[in-house]
Formats: sequence, C-alpha cells, structure tokens
Amino acid sequence: MHTDVNPGPRVERQPADGACPGCGKAELSRYPVLSEGGWYQVVKCGACLHSVSRKPWGLLGPITLTSHGLVLD
Amino acid sequence: MTDTSVESNAPTVPLKDLDDAQFQELYGTDRFTATVLSSRVRYIVDHMCTGLLNNAFSQILRDWYDFAATISGPPAQNYPMSAVSNSLALFLGTMCDAVRNTVEEYGSENLRPGDVLICNDPYRSGTHVNDILFIRPVFVDGEIISFVSLRAHQLDMGGVVPGGFSGTKRNVYENGLVIAPNLLYRDDRPLAPTFNLIFDNARLAALLLPDIKTIYQNLLLGERLVIESVERYGVQAYLGALRYSTDVSADAMREGLLGLPDGVYLGEDGIDADGVDDSIEYRIRVRITKVGGRVEIDLSGTSPQARSSVNGTMLDAKTAVGIAFKYLIDRHTPFTSGTYRDIDIVIPPGTVVSATPPDGAVFIYWETSEPLLHAVFRALRDALGEEAVGGSFASLNLHNAHGLTDDGTPWLTACQTGGEHGPWGATRHGDADSYTVFYTANNLDPATEAIEADIPGVILRKEYAPDTAGAGTNRGGAAVRKDTLWLTAAEHFTSPLHVRAPSGIGVHGGADGAAGACWIFPPETFDVREQKRMLGTNTEVYAGSVPVTGVLDPQTKALDPAGEYFYFASTPNWQTSPGTVFRYLTNGGGGWGDPLRRDPERVKRDVRDEYVTIEGAYRDYGVVITGDPRFAPEQLVVDLEATHARRRELLARRG
Repeated sequence: MHTDVNPGPRVERQPADGACPGCGKAELSRYPVLSEGGWYQVVKCGACLHSVSRKPWGLLGPITLTSHGLVLD
Repeated sequence: MTDTSVESNAPTVPLKDLDDAQFQELYGTDRFTATVLSSRVRYIVDHMCTGLLNNAFSQILRDWYDFAATISGPPAQNYPMSAVSNSLALFLGTMCDAVRNTVEEYGSENLRPGDVLICNDPYRSGTHVNDILFIRPVFVDGEIISFVSLRAHQLDMGGVVPGGFSGTKRNVYENGLVIAPNLLYRDDRPLAPTFNLIFDNARLAALLLPDIKTIYQNLLLGERLVIESVERYGVQAYLGALRYSTDVSADAMREGLLGLPDGVYLGEDGIDADGVDDSIEYRIRVRITKVGGRVEIDLSGTSPQARSSVNGTMLDAKTAVGIAFKYLIDRHTPFTSGTYRDIDIVIPPGTVVSATPPDGAVFIYWETSEPLLHAVFRALRDALGEEAVGGSFASLNLHNAHGLTDDGTPWLTACQTGGEHGPWGATRHGDADSYTVFYTANNLDPATEAIEADIPGVILRKEYAPDTAGAGTNRGGAAVRKDTLWLTAAEHFTSPLHVRAPSGIGVHGGADGAAGACWIFPPETFDVREQKRMLGTNTEVYAGSVPVTGVLDPQTKALDPAGEYFYFASTPNWQTSPGTVFRYLTNGGGGWGDPLRRDPERVKRDVRDEYVTIEGAYRDYGVVITGDPRFAPEQLVVDLEATHARRRELLARRG
C-alpha cells in the first residue's frame, strides 16, 4: 500500500510590486481566493493578510466545464 | 483597496458601535426593524422546510431531512445569503455560491415571475447530482428582490449505480444526469422538456415527481411570505435587513478571530482509499494563517483528486471550512454568506477536495468534507486550548442496497442501515452525544419501524459499544454498533472511508476515540433466523465473518490496531443471500480534558450505562469500580482509596 506523501497541487502566488499599506512590508503577492461573494483575484500581504486589491474572478474560479468552449451559432 | 464587491459597503466598525443615525443610513431602516426582519427570513426558510418535511414522499426527504432552504438577496447586492434553515449544513454552505452561479449563468435578465430555475451540476453548485437546487426569484414591482431556494436530494438521478450512492464511479459519465442551469417552471407551469430530461434518466419516478411538486409548493410558500414581509415593512427595509443579517455573521466571526492567537497552524486528515483500489491513502492538508481579524486557509498540498467518486468540489471545501470555523470560533450567530467575509480560502484545482470534470467524479463528497473539517480542528486545537472541540466518527459509513422481494417487487434502500449516525467529540461544556449525523451534516435518524416497513431488512442492533469513546474529563461519544438482517438476496454498496486511523481526535489532554469497522456475516456462519438469537459481540464471532473494512487481525478478523487494513471496495458491490447480517461499528468520538481529572462518580455512571467497562475505567480513567454493571447496575461502588493509588500510578508513568 502506498500512502500518499507526495505533495498535491499547489496554488502558486505571483510576487507583486510594492509595500503593504497596512504593515509596510514588501510581501505582496497575487493569487485567487474563494470567500464571501465568490472567487476573487487578490493582491494580499503575506505578513498581515491585508488585501490591496480584490477583483471578482470567473464564477467558477479555476474550473473548466466539460462543455466549455461549445459554440452553437 | 480596489474592491468591486458589494461586501465592501459593509460597516468598518462593530455593529454595536453604530448609533441610530449611522444604522439608518447604512441599512435604510432602524435596528429594531432590521432585527425583526432578520428573524423573519429565518422563520420563512424553516417554514419552507417544515412544509417539505411533512409532505415529502421519498424516505430520503421524509425521514432523513436531506434538504435545506435559503433566502438570498438580489444580484445588485451580489446575492447575500441571509437566512439558512436548521438543516443539512453541507447544503447551506454551498448554496450562497450555487444560487449566484446558477442565476448568473442563466441570466437574471431572463427570469420573470412564475419561474423556477434548477441546477444539479456539482462543479457549478456543489454537492452531488442527486441534489437539485430549486431557485424561485421573488419579484416586487418588476424587480428581483430575493431568491427563495431549496436544495433537495432526489432518490435517483441515473448513472450506473441505482440511487447513486457509491464511491466507485470513475467519471461524470458514470455518475448520473448533469443539469446545467435550466428552467423547470415558467409562468408557474411545468416545462415538459425539463421534466422529460429528468424522468427519461432517473429511476424511481413515482417518488421523484410528487417530491418535486411538493418542493415547488414550498417555494411558493417562501415567495408568499417574503412578499408579505415586504408589504408590511417596505422594500428598503427588507433589502437592508438582508445585508444586516450577513453583517452580523461577519462581525461575530471577526470578533471571534481576534481572540485566537496570531500564527500559522498546520493540520491534516484524510480518507483511507478511493473506489478503485487501496493503493493510495488520500491526505487533506490545511495551512491556516491568522492575523488579527483575518484568516486564510490554504489547501495546497492536498492529495490529487481521486480516481473515483469520493471527491468533493471547491464549494464543498468552502462549506467544510466555514462549518469548522463556526464550531470553533463563532458559535452564536446564524450561518450566512457573511461568515466568510474575513476568511479567504486558497484552493488548488484538482485535489480530492476540489475535483474538476470530467474525471474528478464527485458523489460521496461528504467523506472528504468531514476530514477537511477535522484537519482544521487538528490545526487549531492547541491554539484554542480549552475551547478546542473533539473529533467525530468522520465517515457516514453509508449503506445502500437493492433487490427484489419474493413477489418480484424491486426495493431500494439509501442511507438507512449503515453507520450513518454516530458520536461527536467532547467539549469543555460536557460529554459528547453518541448518536447523530456528523458535524458537517444535520439530519434526522430514520425510524427503525419506517425502515422495516419499507424494505426487507430488520435492524437487530443499534447500540453503543463500550470503551470506544475517547476518554477525557469530558468523554467523547461512544461508537455505534448496528446490525441489520437482510431477508432477501441483495446487492450492497457501502462506503466506510475512515478506519485506518481513529478520527475522533482528543483535545485539551483528552484521548482519541477508537477506530471502527464493518463485517458481513453470511447465514452459513451464523443464521439469526435458525438460531433465534442475536449475533454476539465477543471477539470470537468475527472469525467466520467477511470483513468489509477495518484494521483487523487477519486470523480472528476482530479489531486490532496493529492488524491489517481491509479495503472497503475490495468487492465493489457485495452480493448476499437471504439471512445475511451486516454489522457496522462507527469510530468513537474524541475526549476533552485529562481523563484522570474526571469525577469518579461520572466514570461510575458511564460503567453503569455501559459506555465504559470496569476494565476500561481502571485502564483509561484510573478509577477502580467493583460490582456487576449488567445485573446490579445500581450497586456499583467506587473504591476511592484504590482509585487515588491507581491515578498516582498513572500520573507517575507520565513522568
């Protein structure tokens, strides 16, 4: 029996320029989150969790439906 | 901060600090009216549920309460889910996003009064295909002011397994009918193409159709009560109250988070295997970062999605996290979409808790939801100290079967005869309950009489197993042992997914509960009907059994923590002859606090009630009891002097 010890998929955080207006640290990064209101692409401070920006993302976030791309016209 | 979400209009100070003018400006009504309307919408959803419960036809709705109702605000408010019913928590958490996703995809501009919109796609709306989400837009003066919604389990939705409950399906094509956002009613008239779509694919139409009609009637009830509320208090006050309800939840969660020490916390739990083979044990990993009133839960590193339908969706993951934080951080305000305002969840796609189509099949999603909740419980248990909560039995151990009666009538059972009900973990407030559905659910227990009237099964045992509860100052719930005799030949699907290791984690010095198992006893081994007595519970009875799952001694087939893991789907569907008995033993719940600090009189009461044996009292609690708990339960005596000595001995061993 193989107990899974391999790390599974990860969300990669892209470094973002600037300093956090909340704590002043240069630990901003950009990544998607699921929260109240659905999916957002955020730029957040890794030190204090302050959101510099939160832009609504696609309704289903990273999911690609089987029917995605279907063209009927 | 660039934030285009409606939630950014929420107050930045605690609600209690708003004066009357500020409150009026923010919500368009006074505090008293907002509170009345907040209670009113909760009353409405519970009234909808009562109506469905009392009039449902299928056992899964009538006896299990496998449904939930919510009220959401309009698109302009970004669909705040302001009220949820006191029912299935796994549904409630997904419905805040599911309503938005369904309406937005269909187009709110395409809706009109008299519509009912449906969706059952797990990737769009969470849970599984049998749970159809029914949404009724509520119009006032030509504008949508709300959505009243019911998500309700349908006994069948097609697919390769009758009833659908199986962890062995490989992809969406085997899983069952997927319904993208689609109208079921227009102008309050049923749309035949949609009904045909369902009934050309689903079994058990005679039960589904009256259930769907009952659901529709209770959507009408909800709509009528919302409109009455608006007529009494006005649209502005109603819409303000919807936002206020979610702000209350957000406010309370933020306040609770402030009491948790800042830091990074790691937790892990998992499931034993998928439905393909036992070569992979799936792990669910959480990394919780908490600073001030904000928290982020990153699920990166969780095992890749399983090869069969044991996966959950991203919305199910969000739900499990939200429920965990409600149990641990804010237990006092209603669950709404505002619960998540200061909770960000980072979810990599393609894990066992965030499966993607078409190969990430999702059906028994709760089997990963509860371990995800447990991973959060584990991560935060030390930080929470005496506020920590013990673990539950973790797997619903669902049993599903079908066959023919002697006259050829087909029968089907779903979730009635497995280990679906079991123990919770203890808290600082007291011992845990031993017989309920686990933390992420909230359902009824089907009555034994109703089960036996519906299907050719006889429930022989439904009892607590001694010495299975996690010991503690407050004791965890005891494992449930349940025996069912099957009177006809049958085919069974079963999914106990958490027996490799105990799930009922002990907290604040409490001990873990025991791990459970499941066995089949063919009539050649022990025929209850011929013997005219129950199957025993001593270790020797298991030698002739066919183990379904558990960590067992390979010779005696009895529980043995050092034994061999038996894989639950080694036979994907178990064929049995008349007279077969299935036995489930759930996991035990976790204890809270040092067991050596438990009042000896409480231990004696547990021995009297057979939660704990005399030997267990001595071993786990250091309490010496004499007497006969079975035949002279009120004459049990605690030997205080021997107890003090035994506890000193156990303390000395700890060093």
